[in-house]
This record gives sequence, structure tokens and C-alpha cells, in this order.
Amino acid sequence: MIPGWLPLVIWFLPLATALIVSRVAWSRAALAHGVAASAMGVTTLLSIWLAKQVVSSDHSMIGPHVKWLDLGSIVLGFGVYLDPMGAVMTVIVCLLATLVLLFNAWYMHDDEQAARFPWQFCFFVFAMLGVVISDNLFQSFCCWELVGLGSYLLIGFWFQKPAASEDPGYQAMQAKGARGVLLQQLSPAHSQLKAFIMNRVGDAGFLIGIGALLAIALQNGKSGEVLGWQNLLTLRSGNATFLGLSQGALMTVAALGIFCGAVGKSAQFPLHTWLPDAMQGPTTASSIIHAATMVAAGVFLVARCYPMFPPEALHVVGWIGGITCFIAATIACVQWDLKAVLAYSTVSQLGLMFVALGAGEEAGGRAAGIAHLFTHAMFKCLLFLCAGAVIHACHGQQDLHRMGGLRKQMPVTAFASLLAVFAIGGAPFFSGFYSKDAVLAAALHHAQSLGGSAWGPFALACGGSLLTSAYMLRWWLRVFAGSLRDHSIGHHAHDPSGFAKYVLVAMMPFTLLLPFTVGDWLDRALLAPHGEGHHEAHSMAMVLALSMLAVGFGFALLVFWLAPRRGKDLAGSLASTLWPLHTFCSELWFFDKLWDLLFTRGIGRTLAAITARLDLGSAERLRGLESFAASGRLAALSIDGLVDGIGSTCRRLGRVGASVHAGRLGAYLAIASLLGAIGLLWGLLR
Amino acid sequence: MIGSLSLTILGPLALALLCVLQPKPLAARFFALLGSAITLFVGAGALIDFAQHPGSDFRLVESHVWSTFFGAHFALGVDGISAAMLALSGLVTLIATIAAWDEQRSPRAYHALVLFLLAAMNGVFGTLDFLVFYVSWEVLLVPMLALIGVWGGEQRRYAALKFFVYTLAGSVLMLALLLALYNATPKGTDHTFDLRTLAQMWPVWRDSTLFGWPLARFGFFAVLIACLVKVPAVPVHTWLPHAHVQAPTAVSVLLAGVLLKLGVYGLYRIAWPLFPGEAIAFGPMIGVIGVIGILWGAWVALGQRDLKRLVAYSSVSHMGFCLLGLASLTVAGVTAGMVQAVTHGLSSSLLFLLVGVIYDRAHHRDVQGFGGLAKPMPRFTWILLLGALAGAGLPGLAGFIGEFLAFCGGFTAAAPFPLLTLFAVLSVVLSAAYMLWLLKRVSYGPLRHEEHANFPDCTPRELASLLPLCALLVMVGIWPGPLVDALRSSCEALLQHVQGARP
Repeated sequence: MIPGWLPLVIWFLPLATALIVSRVAWSRAALAHGVAASAMGVTTLLSIWLAKQVVSSDHSMIGPHVKWLDLGSIVLGFGVYLDPMGAVMTVIVCLLATLVLLFNAWYMHDDEQAARFPWQFCFFVFAMLGVVISDNLFQSFCCWELVGLGSYLLIGFWFQKPAASEDPGYQAMQAKGARGVLLQQLSPAHSQLKAFIMNRVGDAGFLIGIGALLAIALQNGKSGEVLGWQNLLTLRSGNATFLGLSQGALMTVAALGIFCGAVGKSAQFPLHTWLPDAMQGPTTASSIIHAATMVAAGVFLVARCYPMFPPEALHVVGWIGGITCFIAATIACVQWDLKAVLAYSTVSQLGLMFVALGAGEEAGGRAAGIAHLFTHAMFKCLLFLCAGAVIHACHGQQDLHRMGGLRKQMPVTAFASLLAVFAIGGAPFFSGFYSKDAVLAAALHHAQSLGGSAWGPFALACGGSLLTSAYMLRWWLRVFAGSLRDHSIGHHAHDPSGFAKYVLVAMMPFTLLLPFTVGDWLDRALLAPHGEGHHEAHSMAMVLALSMLAVGFGFALLVFWLAPRRGKDLAGSLASTLWPLHTFCSELWFFDKLWDLLFTRGIGRTLAAITARLDLGSAERLRGLESFAASGRLAALSIDGLVDGIGSTCRRLGRVGASVHAGRLGAYLAIASLLGAIGLLWGLLR
Repeated sequence: MIGSLSLTILGPLALALLCVLQPKPLAARFFALLGSAITLFVGAGALIDFAQHPGSDFRLVESHVWSTFFGAHFALGVDGISAAMLALSGLVTLIATIAAWDEQRSPRAYHALVLFLLAAMNGVFGTLDFLVFYVSWEVLLVPMLALIGVWGGEQRRYAALKFFVYTLAGSVLMLALLLALYNATPKGTDHTFDLRTLAQMWPVWRDSTLFGWPLARFGFFAVLIACLVKVPAVPVHTWLPHAHVQAPTAVSVLLAGVLLKLGVYGLYRIAWPLFPGEAIAFGPMIGVIGVIGILWGAWVALGQRDLKRLVAYSSVSHMGFCLLGLASLTVAGVTAGMVQAVTHGLSSSLLFLLVGVIYDRAHHRDVQGFGGLAKPMPRFTWILLLGALAGAGLPGLAGFIGEFLAFCGGFTAAAPFPLLTLFAVLSVVLSAAYMLWLLKRVSYGPLRHEEHANFPDCTPRELASLLPLCALLVMVGIWPGPLVDALRSSCEALLQHVQGARP
């Protein structure tokens, strides 16, 4: 029997830590990190024990639950529900949080704001755990938003930093031959805003999904905790109609609404553009928030709501995932920013997870997607920590074009990231091999059984995987292989010292296959299906995956290792030959520019300026108000101008009336005779 | 015998007199504190009572004969809704008094007027008599006119006049309604203005006519117009930005924190109970007005450069949720309208205070003229972040509760409301955009102006006015149960009453 208070302790310990650590003075960053890391360490141990219990027992844990708001037919509450998937996710979140905090103590040792990091970080962990252990959709939504706040705070960690185009220090570096999209980098303050608002776009859909579910539940005569998982699962079998929509159509609306939230948080097409900009936050924060856990929350949520997703909705999920997977992979191939490559790779891998989810429960899609979530969390977090180590060693330089040969100065980092690159590429004996194979197998099985457009996501995922192995090896070769390209940034480089180095070492084993497959525990926990068709799909997918890995790695080795050794710039000549393609990809498929034009400038600024103008009139009118001066017609053309127009008309009428009562006898006589004449005429004519 | 509700009306009045009669400004400040503290004490006491023992009955009831000829009584009493409003008016006035502690221009007159205003607001919230309601409703324009017109900014004459004439014109028909109701009382029944009796007599209003119009329809629109101007609903909202921009900080706080709620309260207390048939028939129209307000207000807020005007338009947007919720006629929606009124009172007060804090330092309110204030003013920035997120409806802060419940109500209501709510949901994007964009332009990024580098952070007095609001925003956000419980029974009773009129 698992004690009910245990998940609560795991959930609230990070919050308590955040509250305590936020009181630590700025000058004692080490203390803050120490306290936070040890608290997170305790949480990790507890969560491991809990996960062991949940995974080994056959049923999910239903923990304590409190009512939060009672509105008669609708009751909202908070509670704990842990199935093996949630339990393992809890462990991953806590474990990575502990390791990242330890690493960060070194990473920020010369940053005067460092003490702000641990509490914001712990707050994020609290919110994230809230999503993971939630027992109803309402709690998921609340924590979902709080996760967004945590991300907002950490992206804007260095809020005072200017945008790259306004930063003189950056321009000095730029002058020495940086290239790529670096100049377009937003300031952290801008990035955090962009991230939050784009997430909110998804959340609007999430709210609509919740609304649709509430409507279905009430139409079916249910009341009480209608948003609890147990109740939601019974919804598919109703036959309510609402607003002329059938139950099935409503379920599709609800599922797509929830998926819309996931698209925002997991940076899927078309809302993917915030994630690369979120890299303005500290690399350590990116490692867990914008790579391993938060952005995977969308995947987690869809998996959690899986039984509610009708096949039509899953179809959309698969296609969106496939499109994202491919687009992001092509962009990652041509990035010159150390973190931008990783960011787009994250977007692409998340897309891959959605491809798996889109394949459906029978094809093993859910198990495959979640397995990839877990393995990806480990190796991507490691990759980001290595990137952090490199950036730290190169004094903040992130330009791949000027790095190289760092493997000699930073052997541990180089080795760790090489392992992670093999894992993300899906090489045999590495964790990615296991999960990526499962993803492709699920998509393949789904496509085979359904045919038609179900082949789309599978094809896109294959394309994405092929590119992934190429650009990841390119990334590694650019940073670590060859010789030092720029001595000013590389000659002092060294591996992280102390704890931080051991953090990298500690994460190495998790890039391997063994921790995830020993005793088939993950397959059993995730209820991965086994059968004849699955075996066939698996072996086909394995062959495919391995050949794509070979092609991708081979290409990267040829272009970025063999050719430079011979003194040939094969990459450069490829880019200039294929310049339309290259430009298209390095301009990010023009999505950022298009969205900026349509939404930020179009809807955001222009439309807002127009409505503001229609509301109060022009600035000229606003300046002249106090003198009650009549402004020009055009200047006053607005709601407020109309109101003033009514006012001044009344005043003018009043003046007419006043002139009648001015006491002039002639006027009185004239009016009297006029009225008399009219009356007489009327009387005669009647 | 004076009951505690009379005390909240007569007490501030007496203190207002005392303020002017004695010579010391400091004493006047303490009188203002005392007056608002009394209101807060009575209001919060009643609210806690309703939270612990939910019920739709009226409590603290007292009645004094005013005029036997008219049948008017000085009848007072609160249910959950008015208790919440009373507590809000006490709290906001208390905070506004702290914020205006350093007011140098004739402080005695200033605080006397604030106390006068408080008495009138309490008269509206505390009364059960339509005549007293109407008199208080109109009387409170007078101190407000003076507060904006004398202590206001450069365009104060225009703003004060506009505010006064606009709201007065809006409520003219309410006087006519008062007379019409008096005349329509059937022979043999005593004339009364008691709102409880008037509500029970709704079939009478439905069946009698005024100049060929059904009386109920005339009455509904008379109250509706008066209230929509106060709320303010688009398109009768344009007095608000002028009044807010010109009013001194503390008066803006009173305006946003309490005065706007009078409109919503009027709908809950008079329009819906007295004319339930019309409330059902015209509900979708009110919902449309609410959603237009939500979106239009948000979009205009996005296009503002003046900080105060931006916050003012965010109020227009947020108050739209009250209309949407009330009109949806579901338990969640009707309760949401009132919850939103309370939480918006807290969050908009906080935001106006914060605008005041930087205005005191920079002497301008142009949002483009700031940047990077997080460095010299970290406390200010954290509080601004809290206020902005509360305004953007982040879970865990009070602003979320009203919005979310309004969505729940809207999505589960009858036909046109789910579609309306679909549009209203857009506001979660827009509110995040204008609030956090404001935060970015004011506080984040590099310091744009050298002279801002030595701005002092919030002073203890400023914190004394800001922190209670922050604490309440967090408290209500995390544990809204008591507030919602206190409001829910009254809202359910109202809903039942209105549904009873369904043919």
C-alpha cells in the first residue's frame, strides 16, 4: 500500500523549497543552490520509491483529492492520480531537476543574479509535477499555466539584456565573422513575452476543449467532478447533442481543443516559433524546461487524455507532428547557433512523439510516444548541459562557425555529448534506438493498416529522422572535431569543474539502451502491445532507422569531417549550389517573419491602433479636449467623438432655445405670428 | 436604534462633517481611515458570516420609516452579493486613503469628499429600498465630480463634466421608472419601494403598461442603460478613459475598484429580480454586449500608450465577463459575474496604484518612456508582475476564478452563449498580450533612461497600500471557496427567481 501523503510531499516539497530559497540573499547563491538541490534530491529519492511501487503494482494509484470549488452541477478539485507513465515522469522531472541544479551552481558561479535561479526553478518543478500527478483536467490546466509562468520567468532570467542587434558587445563579436540568424535574436524580455503569448494561443484552445467536455458531460446528465479522468473516460459512450453537434463531433472538438493546448506548449507547427527564441534563457533552464520536461508536457497531456481522442483527432495529431518533425529538422540543418540547432532538434523530436501518438493505441503509438519522451528527456537534457559547458568555456560565444577542436580541452563534455548524439540519432545500444524504432514501427503499423493519408506522418517522420542524425553529428563535429578555428574564444576552454563534471558523467548511462530495457520494465509499464503485426513492423522500422542513421551520419562525416581535413569547404559549396533551399531553411521557412507580419504587426499593432483610434479619436482631438474646442470631423470620428457630438448638438439646440428667450419683443411677435399662421393654415386645410 | 449597516452610511457622513469642521489635515486622514475601516469591518464580517453559513437570506436587516406617504423606508440589509460589495468598498477606500496620505491640496476637503463618496456607495450596496438606492446612486456623482474636477490632471474639467453628465443622463430613466412603479402598484396594496416586495411583484410589472409599452420592458431598459453606462459596457464606455486619466491615483482606484461595480450590482439587485422575463428575453443581447466589451476593450488596451488609459481599457474588457456571466443564467456564470466584480476590484486597484507609483517618480505615463525599471525597482516589478498576471487571469491568482467560471457558465449555457464564449476565450491571449507587453516595456529590457537608474523602490507607505491587495489576490486565487460560497447561494436564489419567470 502506498501512503497517500507521499505524492503530496513530492509535489509540495519543491514549492516549499522555492518559498524558502527565495528569501536567500543575492550574495549567497551557493547556499540557495545547495538547499534547493538537496531538497530536490530528497524528492527524487521519494519519487523513485513511489515509482517502483506504482510500476510493480498492476493498477494506478488514486491519491487524496480535495474539492476546490463547488458550483452545483460542476465541481472543481485537486487530487493525485499516478499510473506508471506518470510515476516514471515524476522521477525524470525530479532527477533532472536535481542534476541541473547541481550543474547550475557551477554554471552561474560568477553571475551576480544566480541566487534567483533556484527558487524560480523549484517553482517550475512544482508546477510541472502538478501536471504530471493531476487527477483531473482542471488541475492539469491550472498547473499547465503555472508551468508557463515558470518558463516565462526563466526565459527572462537576464531581463536587462538587450536584443542582439542593440548589444555593442555582441556587435563586436559579430564583426569577426559570425553568420546565420544570430542578428535576429530577440532580447530575453521579448522572448519571454513571445513564449507566454504563443502558449496562451494554445491555451485558448485548451479552454475551448474543457468547455466542450463540460457541455458534453452536463448534456449527458452527469454532474460533480466531471473533469476527473475517471469521469472523462466514460464520456465517449454518451449520445448528447449540443448546438446541433453530435456527441462524436463534440468529442472531436474537445480532443482538438486539448491538442491545441499541447501544440502551444510543445511548440508544434504552427505555434513552434516561440521555442527557439526561448533559448535566450540560461542554458541550464533550457535544458530541462525547453527540452526535457515542460515542452514534453503537451505529449504527456495528449497521452493522458488518449482514451478520449477519436480517430479523426488522432489523425490531425499525427499530421501536425509529422509536419513539425520535418520542418524543424530542415531548419536545424542550417543553423549556426549552438543552441538554435538543439532547439529545433527539440521541436523536431517532439513532432516525432506526436507522430507516434497519432498512430493510435492499437499500433502501440501511446507507448512509443511516451517511451521517446522519456529517452529524449535524458539525452536532450545532457546535450543542453554540454552546450552550457561549451558556452561557458567560450565566454558566452554560441557561434558554431567559430568553434571546433574543443574535444582536446573538454574531453568529458565531448564524450558525453557524443553519447547523446548517438542516442538522438538512434544508434544501436543507445536509448534512442529503442524508442525511435518504436515510434517508426507504430507509425508504420498504423499506415499499413489504414493506408492512404496515414502514410504522410510516417514519411515525414522518416525524413525528419534522416536529417536528425545528419545535423546532430554536424553539430558535434563543428564544436568538438577538427582544430580550433578561433583562438580568442577557445584557448581557455576547459571541462566543467567539480560537481558539474560528475553531473555529466552521471547522465551518461541514461543515453544507453540498457536502463530502459532491462527486464522490459518500460514496455510493461507502458503496456506496449506485442503481436505478429507489431514484430513485422518493428523489424522493418529497425532496418529503415538503421539505414537512415548510416546515411545521415555518413553524410555528416563526409561534409563536416573528411572534406575539411582535405581543406575543402564542401558545406559552403553545397549551400551556394542549393541556395534557394538553403535560404528558405535558414530563413526558418519564413514562418517567423510571416507570423510577425500577420499577428504582431497586423493584428497586434495595426488593428489595435485602429480600434484605439476608433474609440477615442485622433491624438489631436485628445489634446484639445479641455478647451472644449470643436475638432475636425475626421479627428473626431470615433465613439467618443460621437458622444461629444451629441453633447454639442444639445448645446447648440440650447443656444437656439436661449435666443428665443432673449427678451426681444420683435422675436416673440415673429414666432407668435408664425405659429399662429401655421395653426390657421392647418385648421383651414383639415 | 442604529444598526451596523446604518453605521456604515451615517458613520462616514458624520466623519466627513468632522473632517471639514476641524482644522488638522492629519486628523482628516485618520477619519478617512476610520470610516473605511468601519465599512470594511462590517462588510468583511457579513461576508465571513455568509461564507460560514451560506444562505440567500438578507442579514443585518433594519428598517426605519422614511415617509409613510411614499411608502419609503430607510431599509437596509445584505445578502452575500452586497456583503462582498460592501467589504470591497471598505477595503478599496482604505487603500485609497493610504495611497492619498500625502495629498497636499486641501486634504481636509479631499478626505471629507472621499468619506461622503463612501457613504453613498455603502448606501447603494446596503439598502433594500429602491428610493434609497436611487438617491445614493445619484448622490455619489457629486463627490466624484469634485474629486476629479478639483484634484484631477490637466484636462480635469472636461473629464469631470463628461463623467457627471454621461452617468447622470444614463440614470435619468431610473427616476421615471421609480415613479412608474409607484403608479403601477395595484389598488389596495400599500405603496412600497422595498426591493424584496418589488421583486415578488414581477408579474404586476409584466402585465401593466406605460404609454403602451409593457412596464417591465421599459423598466428593464431604464435600469439596464443606467447600469451599462456605469459598468461601463461598449459603446457607452468612453467617459471612463477620460475620468481615469485625469483622476488622481487614489480616485482612479476608487473608480475602478468600486464605482464600476455599482453597474453590475444594479443589474443583480434590480434589473434581473424585478424584470426576470426581460432578463431571459434579452439575455443573449446582454451577452453579446459583454463579449463585444471584452474584445473591444482588450484590443483598444493593446493600442494604448498612456499607462492609465491602458489599465482603464483593461477594466472595460474585464467587466465584460460580469455581463457575460450574468446573462448566461447558469450557476457558474451568475456566480462568476460577481466573483469577477470582486477580483477585478482588487486587481485593477493594484494596477492603478502601481501606475501612480511610477507617475510619482517619472511624472509621465507614456509607456514608451520607460524601460528596464526592474533593475532600480525590483519590488515594484515583482508587484507589477503579480498585478499583470492577475489581470491576465493566471491560475493561482484571483483574476482566474471569475474568468474561468464565466467560461464554464458560458460553455454550458443555452444556445447562443457557447458561441459567444468561443469569442470571449480570445481574451486570454489578448489580456496576456497587453498586460505582459506593458510589463516588458516598463520594467524589462535595458534601462532606457539614465535618470531612471536612481528611482527609489517602493516606499513603506506605498507597500502598505500595495501588499494587502497582493495578499488578497493570492489568497482568493488559491482558496476561492469562501468567497464563492458566500456569493453562490444568493446567485442561485436569483437564478431560481429568474427561471421562475420562464413561460
